[in-house]
Amino acid sequence: MKKQLVHIKGTKEGLVLRLDDCCAYADLLEELENRVSEGGLDNRVDVQLDLGFRFLTKEQKNDLVQVVEKSGNMHVSSVFSEVISVNESNEMVLASKRDTYIGIVRSGQIVQATGDIVIVGDVNPNGRVEAGGSIYVLGKLKGQVHAGFEGNKDAIIVASHFEPTHVFIADQIDIMSNEKTFISQHVDQIIAYIDQNGVIAYERLQEAKNLRPSLNTIQGGS
Amino acid sequence: MGEAIVITSGKGGVGKTTTTANLGTALALQGKKVCLVDTDIGLRNLDVVLGLENRIIYDLVDVIEGRCKVHQAIVRDKRVDEKLFLLPAAQTTDKNAVNPEQMKSLVEELKREYDYVLIDCPAGIEQGYRNAVAGADRAIVVTTPEISAVRDADRIIGLLEQEDIEPPRLIINRIRKKLMNKEDNLDINDITTHLSIDLLGIIIESDDVISASNKGEPIVMDPNNKAALGYRNVARRILGESVPLMSIDDDQKGVFAKIKSLFSR
Repeated sequence: MKKQLVHIKGTKEGLVLRLDDCCAYADLLEELENRVSEGGLDNRVDVQLDLGFRFLTKEQKNDLVQVVEKSGNMHVSSVFSEVISVNESNEMVLASKRDTYIGIVRSGQIVQATGDIVIVGDVNPNGRVEAGGSIYVLGKLKGQVHAGFEGNKDAIIVASHFEPTHVFIADQIDIMSNEKTFISQHVDQIIAYIDQNGVIAYERLQEAKNLRPSLNTIQGGS
Repeated sequence: MGEAIVITSGKGGVGKTTTTANLGTALALQGKKVCLVDTDIGLRNLDVVLGLENRIIYDLVDVIEGRCKVHQAIVRDKRVDEKLFLLPAAQTTDKNAVNPEQMKSLVEELKREYDYVLIDCPAGIEQGYRNAVAGADRAIVVTTPEISAVRDADRIIGLLEQEDIEPPRLIINRIRKKLMNKEDNLDINDITTHLSIDLLGIIIESDDVISASNKGEPIVMDPNNKAALGYRNVARRILGESVPLMSIDDDQKGVFAKIKSLFSR
């Protein structure tokens, strides 16, 4: 008997199509087409595709999704795979990296990091820090900071002494002026983040836990 | 083997040349053999401040281009016996006439003969700055209690930290006591914490500095002047002595002036 290449499993979230990861891609595509066209579904269902250890390019993934959705009643909610390319992996590692800069970022200097960065020192006026992730300044922040410069809106900026000239988070810009009463009255231990309205907002550092609970990577403390 | 110190600031007009002339003289008065090198090619004035303008025959560019020997270009200051020398800059060309490698070998040559080689750096961060820094073992940054000078000092310190030299040290020049005590003005503490480098000394503003320069006589020759004392203290610190920071308050006040100041405060 021929080996079955597509297993259909029902779960709480909908159907899971487990696709064999050892056969040829063309065979798989063919069998998938046959199986989904069998029909038998009355109403719309969400479907997850599980590729196992098969690596597929973006185009191939799109083809699979199209084949499944062609049947009419199935909607692919997610495509899951156990493997990613080295490039993707490297990008993820870089984005989750945390760099440390020890020293003062002086006027005219630019410090860049792909992930988060911790500055052990001051950022002087006209000095600039750019990070793909969040920026943590242990000294005095008096220069320019750009967190999430590749578009990460969850990135935050934290400084023990918060007195920057320009604040950038993702595509948002905030120029510090005297009108910002909160910042002109409080300079110690501030967090800058993008609030639910999509603009840069400031809070006391103690609020960080409520504002960005996802940044917490360690539990307890007991 | 001597030591080469570059005196720089980024911003112009804060007193690099005056500081170079006075520190050089102070070190020479302490018995060290000092050579001052003016690298401000095209806008030389270290020779004017020292009153040696009329004795220049050859200059730095002549030496570098091989038209004369180093000792032919060097001018001796007769006031400080056999201790103070000047290698003047050229006036007829510009800073691109020299490159950092040439400066480096020139300073190496001078270091063999002198205890201290003080290099007067031009303003700015371009070719002239790179030439001046090339041969230096350490750097002195001059600033004044003005935000613009402090900003530029910050920039120059950042650049100096990229170089392969000792961490730079700071001189705060032209301190005016009246301004320091007012709010909204930078005081010595603000400047040193902002720049966070070692403070080598402070120089109190004095009108006599300008008159002395105009006469071609470094102020440090005048033992009663406060600015001169500041330069002498800096020179002693360079020599490794530990000298307490001078107070910026006027100490020679009469009884009446003291009482008056009690009420005027």
